[in-house]
Amino acid sequence: MSSVLTQEPAAQPRWSIGRLARPDTAAVSAVVLVASAVFFTNLTGLAYADDEGTYTAQALSLNDGDLAPYTYWYDHPPVGWIQLAMLIWIPRLFGLGDDIDIATMRYVIALYFVANAVLIYLIARRITVTKTFALLGVAAFIFSPLSLSLGRQIFLDTVALPWLLLAFYLVLSPRMALWNHAAAGGSFAIAVLSKVTAAVMGPALLVALIDRRAWQGRMFSVMGFLTVGALVLAFYPLMALLRGELVSGDGHVSLQDGLLYQFTAREGSGYVWEVGSARSELLVSWAVGDGFLIVGGAIAAVLCLASRRTRWVSVAVGSFFMPVIVGEGYLPSMYIVAGIPFLCIALASAADLMRRAALRVARNWLPNQALVTPIVLVGVTLLLLVQTPVLGWVAKDRELLSSDQNSDFRDTLDWMRSHVPRDEVVLTPYSMWHDLDSEGWDDNWTMIVLEKADLDPAFKVHHPSGWKEIEWIIEGPTVQSNLEVLGLTTASTALQNSAIVRSFGPWNIRRVQADAIAAP
Amino acid sequence: MLITAAHIAVLIITACLVLLACSTLFLSTYAWWSPDHRSRTGYPDILPENEHSFSLIMPCRTEREEVMRATLGRLLEQTHSRVEVIISVGDDDDDTVAVAQALAKEHPDRVRVSIDSNAVKNKPRQLNTALKLCRNDIVGIFDAESIAAPDLLAHIDSVFQHRHADVVQGAVQLVNFSDSWYSLRNCLEYFIWFRSRLHAHAKSGFIPLGGNTVFVKRELLVSVGGWDGDCLAEDCDLGVRLSVLRRRIVVAYSPDLVTREETPDSVASLIRQRTRWSLGFMQVYAKGDWRRMPTGVQRLNAWWTLTQQHFMALAGVLIPISITLALFAKFPLPITMATFLPLIPTIALFALEICMLHEFGKDHNFRIRPRDYLRLLLGAPAYQVLLAISAIRALGKFYTGDFRWDKTAHNGAHLKMANVELAEAR
Repeated sequence: MSSVLTQEPAAQPRWSIGRLARPDTAAVSAVVLVASAVFFTNLTGLAYADDEGTYTAQALSLNDGDLAPYTYWYDHPPVGWIQLAMLIWIPRLFGLGDDIDIATMRYVIALYFVANAVLIYLIARRITVTKTFALLGVAAFIFSPLSLSLGRQIFLDTVALPWLLLAFYLVLSPRMALWNHAAAGGSFAIAVLSKVTAAVMGPALLVALIDRRAWQGRMFSVMGFLTVGALVLAFYPLMALLRGELVSGDGHVSLQDGLLYQFTAREGSGYVWEVGSARSELLVSWAVGDGFLIVGGAIAAVLCLASRRTRWVSVAVGSFFMPVIVGEGYLPSMYIVAGIPFLCIALASAADLMRRAALRVARNWLPNQALVTPIVLVGVTLLLLVQTPVLGWVAKDRELLSSDQNSDFRDTLDWMRSHVPRDEVVLTPYSMWHDLDSEGWDDNWTMIVLEKADLDPAFKVHHPSGWKEIEWIIEGPTVQSNLEVLGLTTASTALQNSAIVRSFGPWNIRRVQADAIAAP
Repeated sequence: MLITAAHIAVLIITACLVLLACSTLFLSTYAWWSPDHRSRTGYPDILPENEHSFSLIMPCRTEREEVMRATLGRLLEQTHSRVEVIISVGDDDDDTVAVAQALAKEHPDRVRVSIDSNAVKNKPRQLNTALKLCRNDIVGIFDAESIAAPDLLAHIDSVFQHRHADVVQGAVQLVNFSDSWYSLRNCLEYFIWFRSRLHAHAKSGFIPLGGNTVFVKRELLVSVGGWDGDCLAEDCDLGVRLSVLRRRIVVAYSPDLVTREETPDSVASLIRQRTRWSLGFMQVYAKGDWRRMPTGVQRLNAWWTLTQQHFMALAGVLIPISITLALFAKFPLPITMATFLPLIPTIALFALEICMLHEFGKDHNFRIRPRDYLRLLLGAPAYQVLLAISAIRALGKFYTGDFRWDKTAHNGAHLKMANVELAEAR
């Protein structure tokens, strides 16, 4: 007989000074300090990528009430860069980023990184991993060269991560409270609206929610999670509908076209087992970046199957790598970003499972001994295991935390600022676009993003003579491959009919000579 | 993007609607908030000793004999040993008086009749007249058309002992959910009210009591002067006055111990009932006793409790209106999208109501079929309109000072349901 009777709650202070002194609070503070210290070091040293420029420019275009400087074509849901736009005042307040917007935006990403580190710790603790091993997992996250390279760049994956991790944290609520589970649905939806690939974690979230000792309100929790998640997600198609761009049609972009492009039309990366396919090369590059985390994390994820508490971790890592292993569609290099925290949680959980197993064995064999010995044993074994990656990490991390790969970028930017008249038409990679445009051009059809000359029909309206109206091209390190991959004919022609005026490392500033050679 | 006064107005209305919908969601799902919420609240174990004695008032007005006989029968069959029943009738209602007296004659030692001779006829005045005849420790109210569980009073006695309560509110459940499109919603509404909302109110320390299966210590009831003879929601009013006095009000729920009732027999009668309740709440609000709650937060909570229901009834109509307005006025996209926000808690509640209906069926051994779930969802908008009509009607009556008592007619459907259920149990 289930029966209910309301009674008055015992008076219990929710917050107290004692709470602040608890070991978990101290550990979280330590995580915040270390993650900030490592992450803020040489944050702007890593080379700026085109995608970073894209998201920065799109975030800053929100100031003008637009979702993107050029036509927004539903390539990604906008929630990711809406968040970036809402947070950029923080680094600006402290004058961070050397007056380069893309650099300033990296400091916003740093906030997300710190949040991710804290959430990894909290999730590990929620599945009863001891503090030591939870901290070990966080350390793997902070010091992995993959985190320090891809994780510090302005990618939507990093923006989606705290929401995804928060969803896991809420779903694992030990009180099994309905509002936690409903909020988890909302948080997951925000993650997906920040970066659609976060959706691969949906099954793992459901496993984390359901695969526990049954409780009375489980049906309510599942319903709350699914409903709130679906309702928040629905705001994306709602936006497209209100803009009249839900389904494909002549003369306008649409959500349908955007999704079709991302999932089918975009050139695939081949199968992972095809030697030389983009996919296999990417996997190799991740393994080279941090083999310990990729391989060790994968093994740890298998070990996590051993306990019901950690089974969802296996599902998370498994479903994360599923598109890598069995798919052949387009796979971006930053895809790994969303997997790193789960690999770290897998490592922490597996280490903790081994500790428990060792303790059980020790108890049976040495019933009256102190428990210190087995712990030390496991510790030593782990140290041996960790030693190899630590050596590899130190060299890579030292490089990532000290090298300045953007001096040529800055020199190019400075030269353009001081030598090119503001009414002359320039083609530039997205990485530099916003910082140049805001230097006095302030017109996205005078200062033009490289691929927009070919891909945005509005180019023809503003420049009816095509490539001949382009006067400058900035040739960054990625320009040649972009021209080939995207098949950009206008930009290619302009490039062929141009001469280098000034070079800074891999950056060439080219002047287009429209009359010199006839167009092909 | 130019923000105009119209935009700000729409945003403010939207914010209010979000707040309302979230509050409704919170109160409606309170009991399911966590397993902890469920388990720390529960009927305590039944105690061997019956410490208290009960005087049960059964207010009747133009009731049919078999309805009265069934209700009385269940009260006299209680496992609790010290129970007397006062059938309360009005002196202008000759048929019911005759039935009441005939029934009392069958049980001369345990049943008496109280005949109210007030010029104005209503439930609270009948109750006050009957209260004068009560002799036992605890006064309980059972409406004429309700079926009490046999061991209810034994449990209520235990709650009084265990929890040192001054007032215990038992649960009422409408059961004829398959009779009409609105009865399903109506039944679920009661389920949510007694299973969840009242517990949230009790926890907050401000609780509008129900009018049926409610038990008050007689001395306390007499000391506060009984019920307010001019109030249409005399039950709610009593709860407010006892909350202000900080008396210990305990809400008790168990599916086995609910008092069974039936839904109003037509849409018109449902609207009349709702109008009366809304008007009653408005009266209680206007009386202002709630302003005597000790702290500002408690006053705010009291204000919200007394007004929120009417707001919510209107919200069901206001949400589509504000969205339509934003669409046709061609507001900027973010503002138009914001007008959709109240739909998140509103639709989430509809979805959770599916789970509640499932639990309702499980609790009471009813088979809930797929078409019932469908009816639940499809009936929601229309039911919301009914509530809104009632709220607006009540508001109209409140401002024109029309406080006549519209009694709800019943046709005895709950008796059939109770029998069916008994047959199944066997």
